Amino acid sequence: MAAVNKSSAIRAVIEATSEEPIVFTTGYACRIAQDVLDRPNHFYMTGSMGLASSIAIGIAEQTGRPTVVVDGDGSLLMNPAGLVTAGALASLPLVHILLDDGHYTSTGGQHVPSWGTDFALLARSCGYARVKRIERAGDLTATVRTMAATCAAPTFLHCVLTGEDQPVPPRVDGDLAAHAARFGAAVRESLPC
Amino acid sequence: MQAPVTGLADELSERLVHSGFGPFYGTPCGILAPLFTAIDHRTGLRPVVREDNAVGLAAGAALAGRAPVVLMQNSGLGQSVNVLASLIVPYDLAILLIVSLRGIQPDRTQENVVMGRITEPLLGGLGIETATLDTADDAAARAAWAHEVVVRQSRPAALLVTPAAFGWRP
Repeated sequence: MAAVNKSSAIRAVIEATSEEPIVFTTGYACRIAQDVLDRPNHFYMTGSMGLASSIAIGIAEQTGRPTVVVDGDGSLLMNPAGLVTAGALASLPLVHILLDDGHYTSTGGQHVPSWGTDFALLARSCGYARVKRIERAGDLTATVRTMAATCAAPTFLHCVLTGEDQPVPPRVDGDLAAHAARFGAAVRESLPC
Repeated sequence: MQAPVTGLADELSERLVHSGFGPFYGTPCGILAPLFTAIDHRTGLRPVVREDNAVGLAAGAALAGRAPVVLMQNSGLGQSVNVLASLIVPYDLAILLIVSLRGIQPDRTQENVVMGRITEPLLGGLGIETATLDTADDAAARAAWAHEVVVRQSRPAALLVTPAAFGWRP
């Protein structure tokens, strides 16, 4: 099976989910997700780098429903306090997916200085109940599908990207307030009365 | 002397909870300590290690239909400029910030003076409406203002708290 790239990983996450809230981090993750399938349960975080997991924690805690965050290695390392915050909440239904390509891809491909960082160990030591390394898109689809249905504690999926990526789709367009309103309505409508 | 200032924190927490605000997040601040205690006793307050993470959590709570509140020192407002400028304001997320005013009278600590000077202009530049709570102010009126802006008009707002409001001393 071919190595995972960012596009195939995001396609796998979208394929494995239906109405679960998904927060996509800034940079290419948002752009690829919007291009693959633009659903109302997608939140495209176009700025505020480092805070995708914090937004997802707020949603997961307030709704009590499995919530997915698609993070990047540069994003996660810009604000690792998100890991500490999630790890402190033992029953938080958070599926935290790290797409780790070792580069700041959307700003010119500079290296992320993570040579000394063990992401799995970092998540585990912050209190994540389950940590898994993933290297194939099929494995990602199956794991996210299971987690989206059953997740009841902070879960960290370290997805190592090694495949060449496709040309990046256009920027997220449209009014951001309207985007938030669409997502908020989808989150609230999916809650049990 | 001590009772009425403790009372102001108690009354503000009661009014905020009563008018539908919650959940409450906060990164600690000495000026706001009585309010942290009062809110925690009344409804619970989640401590968060960094102010911008607390604002991120509040953004998620707002998207889930709540009216979240974030307590922070104004030094943490500095940490939070980007999340306010690139998430809260453009995505139109209605949250209440309660921000202490370190660096204004009677707080002369040099490391806080600059942030004390720029706190209100910074929030003004971000387009976030502010009101101030001082010793002689009415907690009910400030809570009503916060409710009007955040809950009724669905806009972010910041309540600034002077060092003296809850009895802080240099």
